[in-house]
Amino acid sequence: MTATAAGEPLLEVEDLRVRLRTPRGPASVVNGLSYSVRRGETVAVVGESGSGKSVSVLALLGLLPARVATVTGAARLDGEDLLGMSPERLRQVRGPGVGMVFQDPMTSLNPVLTIGRQLVEGIRAHGEVSKAEARERAAGLLTEVGLPDPERALDRYPHELSGGMRQRVVIAIALSNSPSLLIADEATTALDVTVQAQILDLVEKLRTDHGTGVIWITHDLGVVAGIADRVLVMYGGRCVEDGTVDDVLERPAHPYTRGLLGALPDLATADEGELATIPGTPPAPTDLPTGCVFWPRCPVRGDARCETEQPPLQVVGAGVTKGLPHRAATWCGEGGAR
Amino acid sequence: MVVLAGVSVIVFALVHLVPGDPIRLALGTRFDQATYDALRARSGLDQPLVEQFFGWFGRALGGDLGVSFRSGETVTSLIAERLPATLTLAFASILVALLIAVPLGTISALRPRSFVDRVATVLSQIGISVPEFWMAIVLILVFAGTLGWLPSGGYVPLTEDPGAWAQRLLLPAVVTGVVSGSVITRFVRSSVLEALGADHVRTAQAKGLPQRQVFTWHVLRNALLPLVTVTGVQLAYLLSGVVVVEIVFSWPGLGQLALQAVQARDYPVLQGAILLFAVVFLLINLVVDLLYTAIDPRIRR
Amino acid sequence: MTGQPVPQTAPSPDATEAGVRSTQRPPRPRWRETLGLLARNPTAAVAATVLLLIVLMAVFDETLAPAGPNEISVEDRLQAPSWEHPFGTDDLGRDILSRVILGAGVSLRVGFLAVAFALVVGALIGLLAGFYGRWVDDVLMRFMDILFAFPAVLLAIAVLAVRGPGAGNTALAIGIVYIPVFARVTRASVLGVREEVYVRASRSVGASDLRLLTRHVLPNAAPPIIVQTSISLAFAVLAEAALSFLGLGTQPPNPSWGLMLAEGRGFIDIAWWLAFFPGMAIFLTVLCFNLLGDGLRDVLDPRQRTLMAGGGR
Repeated sequence: MTATAAGEPLLEVEDLRVRLRTPRGPASVVNGLSYSVRRGETVAVVGESGSGKSVSVLALLGLLPARVATVTGAARLDGEDLLGMSPERLRQVRGPGVGMVFQDPMTSLNPVLTIGRQLVEGIRAHGEVSKAEARERAAGLLTEVGLPDPERALDRYPHELSGGMRQRVVIAIALSNSPSLLIADEATTALDVTVQAQILDLVEKLRTDHGTGVIWITHDLGVVAGIADRVLVMYGGRCVEDGTVDDVLERPAHPYTRGLLGALPDLATADEGELATIPGTPPAPTDLPTGCVFWPRCPVRGDARCETEQPPLQVVGAGVTKGLPHRAATWCGEGGAR
Repeated sequence: MVVLAGVSVIVFALVHLVPGDPIRLALGTRFDQATYDALRARSGLDQPLVEQFFGWFGRALGGDLGVSFRSGETVTSLIAERLPATLTLAFASILVALLIAVPLGTISALRPRSFVDRVATVLSQIGISVPEFWMAIVLILVFAGTLGWLPSGGYVPLTEDPGAWAQRLLLPAVVTGVVSGSVITRFVRSSVLEALGADHVRTAQAKGLPQRQVFTWHVLRNALLPLVTVTGVQLAYLLSGVVVVEIVFSWPGLGQLALQAVQARDYPVLQGAILLFAVVFLLINLVVDLLYTAIDPRIRR
Repeated sequence: MTGQPVPQTAPSPDATEAGVRSTQRPPRPRWRETLGLLARNPTAAVAATVLLLIVLMAVFDETLAPAGPNEISVEDRLQAPSWEHPFGTDDLGRDILSRVILGAGVSLRVGFLAVAFALVVGALIGLLAGFYGRWVDDVLMRFMDILFAFPAVLLAIAVLAVRGPGAGNTALAIGIVYIPVFARVTRASVLGVREEVYVRASRSVGASDLRLLTRHVLPNAAPPIIVQTSISLAFAVLAEAALSFLGLGTQPPNPSWGLMLAEGRGFIDIAWWLAFFPGMAIFLTVLCFNLLGDGLRDVLDPRQRTLMAGGGR
């Protein structure tokens, strides 16, 4: 929440589009996504599953299988184009440039290699480091993420650790090359609340200590309120609303965001900090509606253009807070939240 | 152990269920009362069945499987004589199978639905379906007959003449190896495909490991762990499944011995051979279990 | 010469009844749907068609075969393939095409009988073991382990050694070998459905065990068993050929493919067609059963609960 948002842009994404070949035909999973992350800034990406959150970040690092995915648009990390990078340069960026934490701590570590080995190989992939030195650094990282008895943990296998401990290891791996950008994809979803709080603290500390930029993908609005500077709401592979945490959570402009927050009376109210359920299902990326992506589920639908024209992302409400615009892509309530 | 005891009971029962007098049948035209009585007493057939079983079982545990009706040699020595040939063939076949299956299955999995994958799928399907004795005959026709490159059969111990040994081993090992290899290829393909899709592979890529390292340590290593089990099972089948191939290639192994025993109604030999195969089968399973425990940390204590 | 081959029977869900009976039952593959899906899998469809042709050939063998199986003609011996004898003739001047056609009946009948026997006995054992668990499971499956520890070919050979050669005994021998395979597949499958809601629901309203087994458990546990049946048929045909090749199965002068191969083996240098065509026939039949099994597996059993192929090799 501390607004260290004054840093220069670290990651700039422009008009990112991802199409996947699926058995049910081509799927437009990400449709023209643009955003930026500054140094020391945490951007939360929220949305239902299937809204394209994970795919959009996997696409940045070229982690989607090339056989099925077509990625277009532009993404620059420190001014360097990520999407057009040579495979070798991309490999060098993975790690020191961008560290990534994945959702499921149970499956994101290799079950047949020791924790130490998995940390060490990541460290040694980026620079001439002796095994002993890398091991020492690995132990240091484990201490940093709060793993008790790090020396012993290095020789353990993933199955010997609890879920929370494993997720700390995954985070340690992501941090092992001091990335300038950390992407956490539902990193705490599978963990219990106390562990989650510890990990959030850890990330917060990194951000303030190292000026790391963070993209935090989550379902959990409580987490968003706790750590993010800015929020980006995704729906149907698009950004439907973005702005500062206060703007988006307090004064949501898009009917979908309001639905998520349980702000609309005719939608099911949410438990505190949880996303409300919105009637209907997200659009299938193989079969997106024309017009506004949200209109089939939209409880407002006040404008004639809803069903025919995709609304552009426009500045709404109070407009700009601390130099950060609050924008939403909706036809309803144009010129201000209702 | 229970399984082994059960196997013994069935082996014993099978042979003693044979209608008629096995010794009389075995002797056939060479029948004379003195030999008959001697053999009968020696085989213990004049004693009650239960006593016979325990006697046989007890001696079998001590390595004495009785005496061949036909040649008078001990079954143990007959088996010992044939065992090296069968073991050689089985291990050579498994080697051929793995040499085919691991590269082919891996390449298929890396490029699913590609030309190579389709060809590999078709080939392995053919390999699984082709009768091995037919393939053996065709290979003999081509390589021993038409081309004249290799002998059509027989066995020379490695210690006598390594060159001749290898020449004679090649064709039968290829025949059984192709069949097993086809089964294993399919397994390797699905196993590597599964490993490729695992979440931890993405983690490995995301930390910037070189592609080759990701593949070797995070895909192949994981995919090949279960291969130990499959190879063990295939080896167990090979040991007994080579009967037909042994016949076609005049390979003096246990399968040939067993078949000759059936034809000559030499029951002690048949009994011994089957028991040995069952023991080997159990032994291989045991080794596979131990090996798997040793290489897969998830099962390790 | 040949009997009507036993059709591959599978407990097919009764569509009309399923709707009435209970809403708790999950949708399970309907026969027609399965066939539809299978038809869209070109490989499996071709395999099924070829198999149908082979079965038809076996049924109408006497009409189709240009000559009798044992019509000996000394002046025609060892003729290479020609218009008159498309597959050539053997050392006794018998028409090989006719013998291959007539041999289909023998091979298929033994294969079907063997698998039917293994299926009935094995599925019953697996069903009881999986459904009742505890000591029933322990005893039955331990017995299956014992049977499984026997080398397949040798077990069949031993059975034939005891019972004497011939088609019926061959089927029995192969059937015994496959009992543990079916028992294991069935048991695994039954364990999967035993705790499903609809089974427990029926149990709670006091349905008898027999009713539960036949109405609920078996139909829902069937897909992997059906797949295993197709694959086992492939290996049964192969095993019959192997045993006949060894002289333990079908006895001369009956035309069995394996036996023809054995007879042709001696002439391989001078008359390749003697061994080639029966070999092709075995290969084609086995291949089609395997491909059909793969297709069925894709449609019925996407989770691949079936034992991998190679159960008998």
